[in-house]
Amino acid sequence: MYQRIFGLVLLLICIGLGIVAWDYHAPFSYEPVGPRSYPLLLLLLMGLGAIYLIAVKPAGAHEPANEHDHPMDRHVLIKVTSCVVVLTVYAALFETLGFIPASMLFGIVMARLYEGSWLASVIAGVVLAIGLYLLFDKALDVPLPLGILAGLEN
Amino acid sequence: MDTLSYLGQGFGVALSPYNLFTALCGTLIGTVVGLLPGLGPINGVALLIPIAFALGLPPESALILLAAVYLGCEYGGRISSILLNIPGEASAVMTTLDGYPLARQGKAGVALSISAWSSFLGGFIATCGVVIFAPLLAKWAVAFGPAEYFVLMVFAIVCLAGMAGNRPMKTAIACCIGLFLSCVGIDSNSGVYRFTFGSLGLADGIQFVVLVLGLFSVSEILVLLEHTHRGQKALEASGRMLFNLKEGAFVLATNLRSGAIGFGLGILPGAGATLASAVAYMSEKRLAHKDNQFGKGDLRGLAAPETANSASACGSMVPMLTLGVPGSGTTAVMLGALTLYNITPGPLLFQNQPDIVWGLIASLFVANVMLIVMNVPMIKVFTKILAVPYWALVPAIAIITSIGVYAVHATTFDLFLMIIIGVAGYILRKLDFPLSAILLGFILGGLMEQNLRRALSISDGSLGILFASPITWGVWTLIAAMIALPIYRTWRNNAKRAGRPAVADA
Repeated sequence: MYQRIFGLVLLLICIGLGIVAWDYHAPFSYEPVGPRSYPLLLLLLMGLGAIYLIAVKPAGAHEPANEHDHPMDRHVLIKVTSCVVVLTVYAALFETLGFIPASMLFGIVMARLYEGSWLASVIAGVVLAIGLYLLFDKALDVPLPLGILAGLEN
Repeated sequence: MDTLSYLGQGFGVALSPYNLFTALCGTLIGTVVGLLPGLGPINGVALLIPIAFALGLPPESALILLAAVYLGCEYGGRISSILLNIPGEASAVMTTLDGYPLARQGKAGVALSISAWSSFLGGFIATCGVVIFAPLLAKWAVAFGPAEYFVLMVFAIVCLAGMAGNRPMKTAIACCIGLFLSCVGIDSNSGVYRFTFGSLGLADGIQFVVLVLGLFSVSEILVLLEHTHRGQKALEASGRMLFNLKEGAFVLATNLRSGAIGFGLGILPGAGATLASAVAYMSEKRLAHKDNQFGKGDLRGLAAPETANSASACGSMVPMLTLGVPGSGTTAVMLGALTLYNITPGPLLFQNQPDIVWGLIASLFVANVMLIVMNVPMIKVFTKILAVPYWALVPAIAIITSIGVYAVHATTFDLFLMIIIGVAGYILRKLDFPLSAILLGFILGGLMEQNLRRALSISDGSLGILFASPITWGVWTLIAAMIALPIYRTWRNNAKRAGRPAVADA
């Protein structure tokens, strides 16, 4: 069932992107193959694959796909959605708040999400944020944004 | 002997104190990453690329670091397989079959040491293979033109789909998705912006670190949410820590055979460690006498996949170095790392930059020795790491992943893109699409398009050039065989299932 829905979505995406790609042409061309044909070829192949997914009954539906396969229930779905939201908020705060405060908040919430106790989560968040900042920014020379803490340096 | 003198030169590079230290760090990091649940060599190597770049490591040291991490991960994967019965990654699944039963019989120490020894032997055999075959292949590959390369890459992709076992179509679709993603961004030949939808962040394409970490780290974080610690307790590694001479001799033949299998399959583009360990295990099981203990704790059942595993890890360096066509997801990432350094892998690399190539090959030997020396005494430390709870581990993985992505371009756009890719990867994973196929497609995509367009420029648009030389004929034949193989296998399985409905073919 899900596989067919996915096939349909994939097919629609392919058609949409195909329409977009149809307009690509080089203003000056030095070569017989322009920028259009290769993506169109791939979209065609992907579209055919999508049709296959829609048409063919999923063969191994009764057997578990791999060791990670768990039934998708509401509980898991809520958790996954909230995790994605937390990640997005973290990405938004990364530069505005700066690495350390954003990671502290993120670390605490994530640890809670993975069923750590409050105390453990706060410790994990604080230690990770400061420790990783020192490790990457100071020791490994990977520059990280300071954000609101910028005034503290020097 | 050119090869030997080059190899000597390579050891000169690999044994310099700086590179030795790099290799040591790499093997340590790799082992830890490999044994953590849900983190495999692809994540490990991808996370280290921005760091290696930021540290300003010279290219040969960066490559040595990445190779050491790769080998270390293959080592680390077996620890969680044997003690927890949880394979850290797909290629370690076979190790659990006999490794965990052995650990339950109280032979965990023996199992760990014999698997370390097997890994070492596998790596050693395969590295010798690399020394012999890589220069030959490189010499031959100089004759490859764009048309030959294009056909070869088609072969790599068909191979991946054909070898993928029970889901060739899904693998093929995943490859196409990867190939397509490589089209995003400015087209270098004509300057046309493709599929950027006006976004500046996409103008120079999807950064492959973003793709890798999105696909593998973020989706893994989401998968780990589903089973928040089922409270699996690691078995104690007690008793005798070293295998004895008799046990070593018992598995030696298995080691040699599996090493050869692993190296051969590692060279094949697209096949990789997962397939190699499975094939080695199955063929050893078939060769063994009737009274074998396979599945219940046979040492050979443990040695075979472990040897093949690390042999194929080394073997997959051959196509990457000589042809610039990666043989596995991890070497695809390493190829990406090389291009960050403006090094184009391929036959000319052997002539132009022998230091890098031979330094890398020599460091495979060095890293292998380090791993076995380190693994036997430090096994207690490593098993402690297995006890780290998810609430501490996952936030750390998530933050380090974000740092890695941010370090590439220092824009938050990449972070958002990573999350989108991660969610898409999670959905694809739920639908049983292999994610490493997307990655391989992505790495090959750009090369494939360039070579196709170059070839067609040479022939002025005629497709005939793709069938014009003996090399292309040979490769097309292989492609045809690879397409026929899964079809035949499906047909045979269906026929078998029709005949004996209840018997499942493992």
